[in-house]
Amino acid sequence: MNVDVDFDRCEGHGLCEDQAPKVFRLDDDGDLHVEFEEIPEDQAAAVRSAIAACPVAALRERA
Amino acid sequence: MNVPEGDRRVVIVGDSVAGITALREVRALGHTGPVGLIAADPDGCYPRPPLSKKALVDSAGDPEGWSLADLDVDVTRSAAVRLDTERRIVHTEGGHGVYYDALVLATGARARRLAPEREGEFVVRTMQDSTALRDRFSSASSVAVVGAGFLGLEVAGAAHRLGLSVTVVDTEPPLMGVLGPFLSSAVADRLRAASVDVVRATAPVVPYGDPIEGIAVDGVAIPADVTVSCVGEVPNCEWLSGTGIADDHGVAVDEQCATAVPGVFAAGDVTFRRDADGTVRRSPFWSHAVAQAKVAAAGALGLEPRCAPHDDYFWTEILGAPVKIVGPLPPAGAPTRVDGSLADASAVLEWDHADGRRTVVAFGAKKSVGWLRRRAADDV
Repeated sequence: MNVDVDFDRCEGHGLCEDQAPKVFRLDDDGDLHVEFEEIPEDQAAAVRSAIAACPVAALRERA
Repeated sequence: MNVPEGDRRVVIVGDSVAGITALREVRALGHTGPVGLIAADPDGCYPRPPLSKKALVDSAGDPEGWSLADLDVDVTRSAAVRLDTERRIVHTEGGHGVYYDALVLATGARARRLAPEREGEFVVRTMQDSTALRDRFSSASSVAVVGAGFLGLEVAGAAHRLGLSVTVVDTEPPLMGVLGPFLSSAVADRLRAASVDVVRATAPVVPYGDPIEGIAVDGVAIPADVTVSCVGEVPNCEWLSGTGIADDHGVAVDEQCATAVPGVFAAGDVTFRRDADGTVRRSPFWSHAVAQAKVAAAGALGLEPRCAPHDDYFWTEILGAPVKIVGPLPPAGAPTRVDGSLADASAVLEWDHADGRRTVVAFGAKKSVGWLRRRAADDV
């Protein structure tokens, strides 16, 4: 799987980082970084939790 | 519970963030047995925070629905109307009976209304509410918002951005109860600078007319094309009557998100906690619902939770400025430290409390919640 970030929607809340800390990283300014080009299989469930936890619907799964 | 863990049927009632997070957590914790979801929102499951902000301004801001395709979940699209805790069955409006071994209640809350029997009172809770209000805004020039809490000010912010003339009325100054006097005054300044009319009422505000034509504030009519009530919420727990699980405050939960009935857990806006002294505490906020949902899911599986059942992070938007908060509220008095400019909506404020805890507020300043949490824990 992979994940798309809509940076126009992202407000830097960082709840994705709480759910999948190995994949999502917010810097101190609240800018989001995705640490993988392709999400490792063992992170897929955490990433899907992150997608659901995003309060501004800025994350989307890409098939 | 006598059912082997692998065969245990976990049923979740409600499809907002608490329900969906519980559903995901049940699978993430390794449960391979049957999982059911009972939910009734005609728009499916989707995040609600955008509904009172971007979605009110432009349909491009509507949240996208969540996909449950990877979860192998049995979805019953019908409202839960009765719970039989003896037979362990949830009965739905559509006449279904859904059996459970463990249950997670996440039916949330609905908007409280001031004039439910009359036409023309708008509220913001669901996608349908938000779409209806956005449509109404498009042909309106004035709006009266009852309630100067988070929701009311977010609605006021969206209306202001659309160029409407906005009046916000409350018996308290804006956000006084939650944010305390210092931030309340900063918020009031920001509203005033944008010509949003903030009116302080001495008695409860009532809409007048049928259909509603505006609001009456201390006997004086304030006409408005649109009247929006943002006056709190009512937990959706009538369907639990007779079970001993719920009362007027909602569903009481403990630190395990367990209810009064074994095997039944609850999370999100339907819940409340009771302090040792009997004080009722409700925390109807997103991150709190997420934390509770994860704990409730673990409880439903008989496992140890992976996080605490509370999270005090929350945020709002004051006329386009994001305000993010971690720590005890409301903070008393002036902040211990201010970094940046409050007038320019680019400040970080901190209150050091006598008990050693700290409240950290990013008022328009772009800061991540991780950073706020580290500051609150004095880790940066």
